[in-house]
Amino acid sequence: MAAEQLLLTGLMGVLLLVVIALLGRVEDWRSYTPLAGGGAYGGDSAHVHEEKPAGLIRWLTTVDHKDIGLLYGTYAIIAFAVGGLMAVGIRLQLITPEGTAFGNQFYNAILTSHGITMLFLFGTPIIAAFANYFVPLLIGADDMAFPRINAIAFWLLPPGAILIWAGFFLEPLTGGTIQAAQTSWTMYTPLSVEQVNPGVDLMLLGLHLTGVSATMGAINFIATIFTERGDDVNWANLDIFSWTILTQSALILFAFPLLGSALVMLLMDRNLGTLFFAQEGGGAMLWQHLFWFFGHPEVYILVLPPMGLVSLILPKFAGRKLFGFKFVVYSTLAIGVLSFGVWAHHMFSTGMDPRLQASFMAVSLAIAVPSAVKTFNWITTLWNGSLRLTTPMLFCIGFVSNFIIGGITGVFLASVPVDLILHDTYYVVGHFHYIVMGVIGFGAFAGIYYWFPVFTGRMYQKKLGKAHFWLSMVGTNVTFFAMLLLGYLGMPRRYATYEVAAGVAPLDLLTLSHQAASVGALILLIGQIIFVWNFAQSWLEGPEVDEGDPWDLEKTGQKTKEFQWHEDRISTALTDGGSESGESGTTSELRSDGGSESEEEEVVTDGGSTSEESGTSSELRSDGGSESEEEEVVTDGGSTSEESGTSSE
Amino acid sequence: MSEKVFDRETLLDLTVNVIPFGILVIFFVGYLLFSPWGFDSVISGIQLAIIAVFGIGLMILTYYSGAAVSKAEMRTEAALEAEETAELESGDETDGEETPE
Repeated sequence: MAAEQLLLTGLMGVLLLVVIALLGRVEDWRSYTPLAGGGAYGGDSAHVHEEKPAGLIRWLTTVDHKDIGLLYGTYAIIAFAVGGLMAVGIRLQLITPEGTAFGNQFYNAILTSHGITMLFLFGTPIIAAFANYFVPLLIGADDMAFPRINAIAFWLLPPGAILIWAGFFLEPLTGGTIQAAQTSWTMYTPLSVEQVNPGVDLMLLGLHLTGVSATMGAINFIATIFTERGDDVNWANLDIFSWTILTQSALILFAFPLLGSALVMLLMDRNLGTLFFAQEGGGAMLWQHLFWFFGHPEVYILVLPPMGLVSLILPKFAGRKLFGFKFVVYSTLAIGVLSFGVWAHHMFSTGMDPRLQASFMAVSLAIAVPSAVKTFNWITTLWNGSLRLTTPMLFCIGFVSNFIIGGITGVFLASVPVDLILHDTYYVVGHFHYIVMGVIGFGAFAGIYYWFPVFTGRMYQKKLGKAHFWLSMVGTNVTFFAMLLLGYLGMPRRYATYEVAAGVAPLDLLTLSHQAASVGALILLIGQIIFVWNFAQSWLEGPEVDEGDPWDLEKTGQKTKEFQWHEDRISTALTDGGSESGESGTTSELRSDGGSESEEEEVVTDGGSTSEESGTSSELRSDGGSESEEEEVVTDGGSTSEESGTSSE
Repeated sequence: MSEKVFDRETLLDLTVNVIPFGILVIFFVGYLLFSPWGFDSVISGIQLAIIAVFGIGLMILTYYSGAAVSKAEMRTEAALEAEETAELESGDETDGEETPE
């Protein structure tokens, strides 16, 4: 036994030496690609690989920040679809008090997996998608500071997702021995320690991988923003999205390693007989403290970058610069600091000392101020602006509207006496869903539509984009406002059936509210199906964007670096990308679905200059052409209320 | 010291973080003066430390970020001024092209 251990130790030592030797031979960590013949073994590390490999190999080996951004985005949208279908399942179950669709265990499983999927597999990656693709472009960097670490960070995510969802796949294969985790996303002990299901272990390992991935990404973003900025970019003119990514990365750096440690402790309690969270050890409260010390900054990890997106995009369609840019920057940093001092407001009902509750209440109320400052800045930017109600702009406005409801309902929860009444009810669920769907989701959609011409080279279908917005806006508010009402009625969260809840409120009223929430969820589902269709079809067949400024940003002096890069790419492709006939041939081939010459000349800009758009008669914009476009432009001053009313129609 | 690092405009920008700081100060003083659950050196110490740590942290980060932004602005302004001066000095010879620094 001792000899075996000695041998094992020796082997580990040798392995360590080999790793050190390999690392020591790497001369240039920033070389473009490890497949290019240079870099890893000390040879030629110049940018020798001019073209990317084709096909699947490109995507498996890429270290280009734009490609990795696209990988993150694809991954996030797949996760969004999975998590969304789980949400639909939850809402279908709750149409009737006795449960409509599933058994309680399966309900618990999809409830758990929905939360984890949306937060860790959709929320964090969709932000990483934007950040990877656009932060280097916005700050004038060639690539991320550590391209290979960037690739590793992404490739940790697919195994993470497989592990998190593993229980669903393995249950039929193992005859129910391994099931999907039913711990809820908070994984509270002692429940999560006592569930013998190995699916919980797989989920914890998957979560751990996503945490490692997020941490690696965060280090990379911090290094990139600090060291890779272009000569003309400094702290005074750094764009707002990069500021929020920098703050978010700092939060990740402090929060995610703590989650990782807590997960390892939980795994050890489950499998190795340790007592970290047992009554003899730290007890259940230790888990809650550790989890929420990560968990609340996680909220800001998810919400700050979408706030940055809206701060970046909203002024572009308001025809004026962001009001109080520096207010937004400093309030972002304030949120970053204060977010670590509010964790115990999730635990007011645990019986902790009231003096400590009072402190966490104070910091939780203080953090509302910088959030409100941002809201006032967005509204002031819109005030008397020359609004263009394009799809990204609609999502920005929807974002602000939802944030007001989601944010204010959160301020009430910061207050100890109110929280004690509403804790663990649907009010909390409604509040945070206003934030995660109504704010984070809307911010992500605003970013997707705004930058669609850049990352696809094509324009989305405007009518479908607006249908997506209105269905999402109505669906979000119907679903989550109904949840706020359910919370006021006293409906406890997480229940698979609610016949028992008739004791707290009339069952008819509870059922009606649940049904309203479910109708809203179905509206949301239809909206998201339209989004996916629009996204995929427009990427494949949408009209090519052949102008560098599809949103007419130059008019208001707001053209940023990523669109300059986009323009440069187009002009470069025209000059050295083969013959003109070849170019036009490609275009006409792609427009073979009935496109005419006039279509090819004009790209549907969904908010570019009206004169251009009024001439456009693309079949992709079958929504009426010039009239509706003119109505959309709400000029400053004048009868804005009338005009905006018309445009809403 | 602060007048050298921050101009009036920057100080005005930084007031945005003074408001949450002020809220923390009010609570800190309030809990110091009124303690309906009694004073316990450990618990009350933690109670006040939670507020103080994050209030001080907020001010430190605000100061350093404000200083970084302010310095960057000063450098940009200085560079622009130098560029304008160089352009004026070179007159028509440069024909409007950028003068290398």
